[in-house]
Amino acid sequence: MSHLRRSHFCGSPMHALDRRGFLGLAAGAAAFAADMTQLNVLQHPLLAGEMKKQQKRCILLWLAGGASQLETWDPKPGAPTGGPFRAIPTSVPGIHISELMPEMAKRMKHTCIVRSLNTRNGDHGGAAQLMMRGRRDEANLKYPDLGAVLARELGQADSQVPDYVSFYFATEGRGSAPGSAGFLGSRYAPMELYTSMIPENIRRLDGIDDLDHKRRGELRESLSKQFAKGRASSSLGSHGEAYQRVRGLMASEKLFDVSREPQKIREKYGPTLFGEQALAARRLIEAGVPFVRVGRAWWDSHGENFETHRELVPELDHVMSALLDDLEQRGLLEHTLVITLSEFGRTPGINASLGRDHFASAWSATLSGCGIQGGSVYGKTDAKGERVADGEVGAAELFATIYRALGINHQKNYHVGSRPVPLTEPGTKPIKALLA
Amino acid sequence: MRSRHLTLPLLVLGLTCSFARSAEITPSGQTVEQVVDRYIESSLQEAHVTPAPPADDATILRRLTLDLVGRIPTVEETQAFLASTNPNKRVERIDRLMNSPGFVRHQATEFDAMLMNGTKGSVRAYLLVALSESRSWDRIYRELMLPDENDAKLKPAGEFLRQRVRDLDKLTAEVSCLFFGVNVSCARCHDHPLVADWKQDHFFGMKSFFSRTYESGGKLAERDTGLVKFKTTKGIERQAKMMFLTGKIVPTDTLKETPADTSKKKSKKEGEKKAPPPPAPKFSARAELVKLSLEPEQRDFFARSIVNRVWHRLFGYGLVMPLDQMHSENAPSHPELLDWLARDTAEHGYDLRRLIRGLVSSNAYARDSRWEKGETPRAALFAVARVRPLAPMQLAVSLRLAVADPKTFPASLTADEFDKRMAGLESNASGMERLFEQPGDDFQVGVGEALLFSNGERIQKELLADGGDRLLGRMQQLKNDEAIDLAVRTILSRPPRAEEKKLLGDYLQQCAAKPKDARQQIVWALLTSAEFRFNY
Repeated sequence: MSHLRRSHFCGSPMHALDRRGFLGLAAGAAAFAADMTQLNVLQHPLLAGEMKKQQKRCILLWLAGGASQLETWDPKPGAPTGGPFRAIPTSVPGIHISELMPEMAKRMKHTCIVRSLNTRNGDHGGAAQLMMRGRRDEANLKYPDLGAVLARELGQADSQVPDYVSFYFATEGRGSAPGSAGFLGSRYAPMELYTSMIPENIRRLDGIDDLDHKRRGELRESLSKQFAKGRASSSLGSHGEAYQRVRGLMASEKLFDVSREPQKIREKYGPTLFGEQALAARRLIEAGVPFVRVGRAWWDSHGENFETHRELVPELDHVMSALLDDLEQRGLLEHTLVITLSEFGRTPGINASLGRDHFASAWSATLSGCGIQGGSVYGKTDAKGERVADGEVGAAELFATIYRALGINHQKNYHVGSRPVPLTEPGTKPIKALLA
Repeated sequence: MRSRHLTLPLLVLGLTCSFARSAEITPSGQTVEQVVDRYIESSLQEAHVTPAPPADDATILRRLTLDLVGRIPTVEETQAFLASTNPNKRVERIDRLMNSPGFVRHQATEFDAMLMNGTKGSVRAYLLVALSESRSWDRIYRELMLPDENDAKLKPAGEFLRQRVRDLDKLTAEVSCLFFGVNVSCARCHDHPLVADWKQDHFFGMKSFFSRTYESGGKLAERDTGLVKFKTTKGIERQAKMMFLTGKIVPTDTLKETPADTSKKKSKKEGEKKAPPPPAPKFSARAELVKLSLEPEQRDFFARSIVNRVWHRLFGYGLVMPLDQMHSENAPSHPELLDWLARDTAEHGYDLRRLIRGLVSSNAYARDSRWEKGETPRAALFAVARVRPLAPMQLAVSLRLAVADPKTFPASLTADEFDKRMAGLESNASGMERLFEQPGDDFQVGVGEALLFSNGERIQKELLADGGDRLLGRMQQLKNDEAIDLAVRTILSRPPRAEEKKLLGDYLQQCAAKPKDARQQIVWALLTSAEFRFNY
């Protein structure tokens, strides 16, 4: 625990009470949900609102290409590897971050910085997969990524909203880290947005009117129900469920439309694509989507690292702080985990093109909101940032911590055929010190 | 050393048992299907389960056609099969399908998916040649493992290794899974926690056969020497022997470090694409593996694995599940049957056709997929046919065929003409194939697929157009009841039932103001129905 500088402690009795209160309420809501045939919960605004609020969820700000820890969360001013930017104090005494992030500096109370990642993979493709899944695939076994696991753990089987949405408009690095449901199968595959803010195939084609669209769907279901009689198969069941979700998902198109937000809110997020997607992410999780990834590329600054970061870090600072403010004001932040993560960080050494190269031995990520001990730093790198000096964290521990922050047992078993597959490798421990 | 001494007796014991059983079991000379039914039925009797009745003719024809040639039957094929009173019609149909070029194409697709799923490569081009010549499974294995980079015809087989050569742990583990039905990847870091068979010695023993394989300028190559070292969980460094899964060791004096100049520093010329492949090694570790694993005393893993995989594909459930866990602590549901089939397959030169023909000719294969009285018996009893999702290419081709005007494939076509048209239809379907996912066990259909069919422009354009060569075009010229009859026969490969006629008839009447649209909606509902999506 020595490596945790816990300057802003939020372990008050009030907090414990909140947690108990939440558990009680959730149990009540679940009992109520079981009786949904009697009363449509979603038409019961008070309870529906409460249920939606209590559901845990996660937004991943994916800094593709590898953001530099030195120009963000772990500055080394004055060191030969430090680069030109200064470090500034934050609202939490003792914690300093890069001067490129003045807004986040004011909001450190929500965030825990993990400065001691050592993930041992400096190749874009392999590292991106590792940091999306928390582990390496095995022969004959492909692991689901974070979004797919959360879709399964936090979503509802018959959910009328998507349960895993991923925005990734850049072309660089897109192939490195496609969302992947692995052995959980396509039921949990992401809805991926690559070029348009409107998901593929979510909008009815012009050639058919809404009534016919609905009616032919009902005809399909009648025919299929006949067929399903006497045939017990979970694959067959999933086919019916997938089609039953279509109309609901079509209705969720509006969630992707940020123009429905008040101008004041839109201005806070800013007119950038990253800002708009972060806002869309908030709209989605507010409506019950358990996981949204917003990809921002391309951080791969082998040349002109400082120019790249002078451009990208202030944008991250702006969007992330707007997102945290917005979530907090809506009472969503305590149920929403916001993560910043890349496939790796960048070398402390500065190369001849004033760039920094791939570096997986000592880099940073952040966790904010749900289940997290905000206002803290976990782990330490040495004076030049060349290696982890204290509290080393690997991909598995980071994922175990994320699962625990979201109330998921990180040792839970899934079954692939008859083989039990634990959510994280056996023996992996979450970092207790940064869990609230 | 200690752990290997412990392992060997166990393994030897396991193998001796299985041989002892082999000697007692049904003598060869019976057909594959007779033996299959004998063992399956005896286990059903033991469990006091009466199996589901045989499926009806239309279902059997659809099942066979999907499994053997990868598509639904045409309207004419269904009609002829239903009308035939020949008691041997099923056997004759199996032979006809297996003798058609479509059989080779579909089996190549299926084996390619099995061998290359999860990689970005394909060995289908090679499999098409191999299967059209009815090459045996051991030969295919040999050609995949020892591709001759100088032989243009064999080069495509090299893709199997090329796709994996950059990760030798993965190559080791996947070869073990695919050809021997065992997953030793756990034993990379520690002896298997649950399975006494798998020690680190096995993983690294197997890896020794691959550790000298590398890629140079896009070509596969192998070094003469090489040494695999590993650390036990206790931190002791060990040198791996060249050891097969059975514990059998290849004696060799090539277990030494590769001299730095041949391994590390590749000459510039060697790395260039146009350069000839590096010379073959004097001693090939991979060739030793192939030789050893096919020796009569060692071949059990190889023979049992292919039997189990083909069985799994045709029955939707293996005799051993999961497919990569064929070890002493995960017994087969029908040990004698698996032994018999493995022995029969090996003795008949690993003839895939014999195995496939035998399995699809059995009564166990031909059961109904409905179980309406009480709880469904467990899958391993094979009491009822399983509902299996179509593979991407089966689905894509079947969709294309279902929306084509049935007159495209009239009864008057010669076999050659029929095949030519079918091959054309298949190549048109290959673009759509990519839209669907390769199903694994417990496959779950994603909402992406449902959205694609519900709102995808491509589906609308490619499947729901009503041009002259389309089912819909023909339906537009027919009266309601005739249109319904034709649509169900074409898409679901069977005559419509009374309640369907009513359901669909009512739909058309309801939408009488827009008859064209209504017919298109009926075609859509049939194409997206569960019945179409699965092989049942």
